Amino acid sequence: MIGQLTSSERQNAAVIAVVVAIAGMVMAALGRSDALGVHGVIVMLFAGGVLYILMSTFYEPEPTEDREASYYDDPIKVGIALSMAWAVFGMFMGVWVAAQLAWPDLAFDAGWSSFGRLRPTHTTGVIFGFGGNALIATSFHVVQRTSRARLAGQISPWFVLLGYNLFCVLAVSGYLIGVTQSKEYAEAEWYADLWLVVVWVTYFILYIRTIARRKEPHIYVANWYFMAFILVVAILHIVNNLALPVSWGHAKSYTIWPGVQDAMVQWWYGHNAVAFFLTAGFLGMLYYYLPVRAQRPIFSYRLSILSFWGITFFYMWAGSHHLHYTALPHWVQTLGMTFSVMLLVPSWASAGNALLTLNGAWHRVRDDATLRFMMAAAVFYGLSTFEGSFMAIRPVNSLSHYTDWTVGHVHAGALGWVALITFGSLYTLVPSLWKRERMYSAALVEVHFWLAIAGTLIYVFAMWNSGIIQGLMWRTYTEEGALAYSFVDSLVAMYPYYIARAFGGLLFLIGAVVGCYNIWMTVRALPAAVAAGADVPVTPVAIPGE
Amino acid sequence: MDIDHNAVVAFSKSWGLFYLIALALGVLVYTFWPSNKKRFDRAKKSILDRDDKPWRK
Amino acid sequence: MADTFHRKIERSAIGFVLAIIAAASVGGIVEIAPLFTIDETVEQAPDMRMYTPLELAGRNIYVREGCYACHSQMIRTLRDEVERYGPFSLAVESQYDRPMLWGSKRTGPDLARVGGKYSDFWHVAHLNNPRDVTPESNMPAYRWLGRTSLEMDDLPMHLAAQQALGVPYSDDMIENAARDAYGQATPDTDFAAGVTERYGEETQVSAFDGVTTHVTEMDALVAYLQVLGRLTGAAYENTAAPEAKPEPEG
Repeated sequence: MIGQLTSSERQNAAVIAVVVAIAGMVMAALGRSDALGVHGVIVMLFAGGVLYILMSTFYEPEPTEDREASYYDDPIKVGIALSMAWAVFGMFMGVWVAAQLAWPDLAFDAGWSSFGRLRPTHTTGVIFGFGGNALIATSFHVVQRTSRARLAGQISPWFVLLGYNLFCVLAVSGYLIGVTQSKEYAEAEWYADLWLVVVWVTYFILYIRTIARRKEPHIYVANWYFMAFILVVAILHIVNNLALPVSWGHAKSYTIWPGVQDAMVQWWYGHNAVAFFLTAGFLGMLYYYLPVRAQRPIFSYRLSILSFWGITFFYMWAGSHHLHYTALPHWVQTLGMTFSVMLLVPSWASAGNALLTLNGAWHRVRDDATLRFMMAAAVFYGLSTFEGSFMAIRPVNSLSHYTDWTVGHVHAGALGWVALITFGSLYTLVPSLWKRERMYSAALVEVHFWLAIAGTLIYVFAMWNSGIIQGLMWRTYTEEGALAYSFVDSLVAMYPYYIARAFGGLLFLIGAVVGCYNIWMTVRALPAAVAAGADVPVTPVAIPGE
Repeated sequence: MDIDHNAVVAFSKSWGLFYLIALALGVLVYTFWPSNKKRFDRAKKSILDRDDKPWRK
Repeated sequence: MADTFHRKIERSAIGFVLAIIAAASVGGIVEIAPLFTIDETVEQAPDMRMYTPLELAGRNIYVREGCYACHSQMIRTLRDEVERYGPFSLAVESQYDRPMLWGSKRTGPDLARVGGKYSDFWHVAHLNNPRDVTPESNMPAYRWLGRTSLEMDDLPMHLAAQQALGVPYSDDMIENAARDAYGQATPDTDFAAGVTERYGEETQVSAFDGVTTHVTEMDALVAYLQVLGRLTGAAYENTAAPEAKPEPEG
């Protein structure tokens, strides 16, 4: 892991780990019996673990050859492993909470296992754990390859990756012990948020310095998306999480935004987290790994630029569609709706661009499940952006809001788009990083693909049905002009769909486990062709059977 | 000058629109500027190059 | 001209960064900036009171347990919602809410006006096991709330933090926060009088969980649920801002 660090860099890394451990000690001392104290101990253990790994390999030989002659891939490899581990954790939590909705007693008689605390461990686990680690790993890979430059730092990539995972651990463990801000997708408390700012600024500096080292005058478009992801997430994170802790010894804080302002800031954040975390970053993956895997340049480079600026500009206005018919001023709702509909243009431009890139290579899509993952992702991206614009229209929203339709929409995007493009990218990336000719088993990639597709479709159809039924039951009147159904009536109608949804999620989880096994076996297998002594990456374009 | 809510809203609504138009024009000019075509074509194909080592000065 | 400008932006990645910020931030600014002056147009509620310390503690438990994941607290301006849950929610009703708990999903019903609809006894039975009260319910059971003592010692710090952010708690309220929390759940003690004195005669003082000797998290949560929608009567008067009035559709 630290084979590429010189001994002075190893010392610096150890110093950083010690500083973090001391920060954990301070938290533990200030927090004492408060949850902050528990988190102080977790920080100490995390930093101690990193320090242990560092010290146990501290006197291994230093790198001999010129490091600048090769890409820096070690942090990417660890990032991929962490991403897959979080995927299994987060998806398992998802299946558990889904099952709790069908069988509510599927919990222990203790706070940590109740739905309200487990649900954010699922969302954080998959969005930030699985998605975030995949984004960090692939962005490190893409920026080096497209800039033809090594990462502009030796320790900072590790700091970004491990620091980010410390944030995820603090967030998820916090929910279980009752630490949450209750802001959806930004539940972590103030100290974890501050730590993430430090990590994120490092990430940004590392990324921009690497780009500045590039050979080409032009920055490849995938990097634009990654850069928008890093930058805008920083802005969103800081603004939404401004809060005043009860004291330095309390994990609990109160947001500086009251009531209606908090609602607007929260959904401005919430929707743009979808835009810049779950869309821009993953479009970065799409614009690199899809052409590489298909061995065809992107259909239209100009279209990719236009859709980039369209997405960057339009998304920021769309958040208020989460607040239709609420106490938010009417004109802000209308603005949110208008821009949400306009968003369809750049979104479909991206999806169409991806699919047209494959035009002429459909036989590859047929034979290569990895490429098919990415093709299906582009299709789901197009479908869920259409659905999103549709649901943002006020009268449609009056039916869909507060129902399972929203949950179905989110999962069409999260499973169908985000997870599929990630698996496709990782199956492209893993063999090239570990210098294998191909994945351990093409058949298992195929199995994973069909499990993922089946799981997504079952999930999404179940939620469409339940959501629309729910919405209609709530607004159905009898001939006498009274509400036809009680709330409980609508709940009873949901149970079959909740069971189907849990089953769909289970299939998707099994697929992820199969993927982990396949990646593990690929890494374990002996390199197909060992280039004697040269630590030079091979081309990331080998396609099985070609 | 007294800045009341209506003034802020009016400013937001009108200048937001002007900003949108200006930005769209800027992006369109950049995208379709003839001399940029060469660089875009190069970028488009460069990721498929099999040469996979950092460049050296 | 435009060409060299763009080339410059592109050559230094910093320029590119600024371009992204410029494109991305304006939407948020245009929508959010006017909300800072919105007080001028929003309806007033001079009768509105703040949460008592016990209710605030209950609210924090509501947040901690993630109740907002399944229950909204925002009645929209739609006919069926108003008939099912009560008058639609006004912005002013959440003016002291940090964070707001409007929610995004109704696996269970809206709670914006649940206060006073059910007895304390019903709430305790329901929270202990929802299926004892509503056999079809899929809500988790919260038995441990009644077993867990409420942490009251640091309530003054909570109120002080809220005061620092602009909630008009008086120094007297902050000083007596822990006593008031105890008093609100123990109607037979001397501390009970201070609660109504500071927070108004309408404040509900009762042994919420049925046990008068011990203040638990169940007391706090039920106290919070019972005050939902009852901090002000503004929603029942015809003072809504024109934009928020119900529309014929739906």
